[in-house]
Amino acid sequence: MEVTLKIFRYNPEKDKKPSYKTYKLEAVETDRVLDLLEKVKGYQDGTLSFRRSCAHGICGSDAMRINGMNRLACKTLVRDVGTRITVEPILGLRVIKDLIVDMEPFFDNYKKVMPWFINNDPPPEKERLQSPEARLRFDDTTKCILCACCTTSCPSFWGSDEYLGPAAFVNAHRFIFDDRDQAAAERLKIVNEVMGVSRCHTVFNCTLACPREIQITKAIGELKMALVTGVLS
Amino acid sequence: MKPRTVSFTQRGFDFETFMWFFTRVSALVMYALALTGLVGALIMGARTQMNLADLMRWVFTPNVTHVQNTNVPDLAPWTTSFWKLVASAFVFFATSHGLHGLLSVIEDYLTLPWLRRTLRILVLLLTLFMIFVGVYLIWTS
Repeated sequence: MEVTLKIFRYNPEKDKKPSYKTYKLEAVETDRVLDLLEKVKGYQDGTLSFRRSCAHGICGSDAMRINGMNRLACKTLVRDVGTRITVEPILGLRVIKDLIVDMEPFFDNYKKVMPWFINNDPPPEKERLQSPEARLRFDDTTKCILCACCTTSCPSFWGSDEYLGPAAFVNAHRFIFDDRDQAAAERLKIVNEVMGVSRCHTVFNCTLACPREIQITKAIGELKMALVTGVLS
Repeated sequence: MKPRTVSFTQRGFDFETFMWFFTRVSALVMYALALTGLVGALIMGARTQMNLADLMRWVFTPNVTHVQNTNVPDLAPWTTSFWKLVASAFVFFATSHGLHGLLSVIEDYLTLPWLRRTLRILVLLLTLFMIFVGVYLIWTS
């Protein structure tokens, strides 16, 4: 089948403003959008720029807006989006070139919630044991791959990139509800700040956009409840 | 297993989070106030003396002006300080609930910091003014 691929193009060194370029190419319905982008770059227009790495939905490099929705190009099949496909960079972050955006503000916000394990007790001889029930408490939020699909689909983040954003909350949730971690209070204080969870208006865009199907709005709701009640388990 | 908790002082106080919580609670309070107005009106005879539109007007603002043109013969039970208090509480919670909604729109859709700050102050002043006018009218009507 013939697929029409309309791609957002912008090179700040040459272009005054962004434009769209259309490419036609042969594809089968099980081709991924990433395959189409590779074909365009390899055979039609070598100047096209986009990020990719593992190409198997794990590294989170190729998040982009496909037909208006944040998705991973490596997990989106032609049969899911049809033969007329529009590909644009994710919103709310500065475009560096074509489909590549500046991820610094996103990772700055991510770092603010201290996304690492904190426990000042001396380490035991083997591992720090945890019951299956306690592990289940934050199982969903361990799946985040930091692709930024959620954060860049959030209207509050579009308004201000100082807003911590869903991905930062997901990673805060992962450690706050881990009963082996000892810095829950500090993290709660961070997500309680002016640009924290109170700016979430429960739009659910993040949950719809997450390629890992994390229940992000639910996780943010649990953070809000923890802030109000102080109860973690 | 001992429940894990974090104390209020450890979590810290943030005005935005407080307003987020207040907005949820104020909605519930308004439901309770509306129910109070409805039950009160029915006890005072609204079932046979008022039509549904007048009853609803009273439920959402229990003010005697909404009763004057109905078939209620005795206005005395409808004009007590209790109903003025309920109506004042309604004005306060409804206006401050709306204030937070408006502030959320400003925060989400305005990117200029000075415009955002100016509108925040304007909305706050407008809210205080509306609460003052509303409560003044309730107690002087």
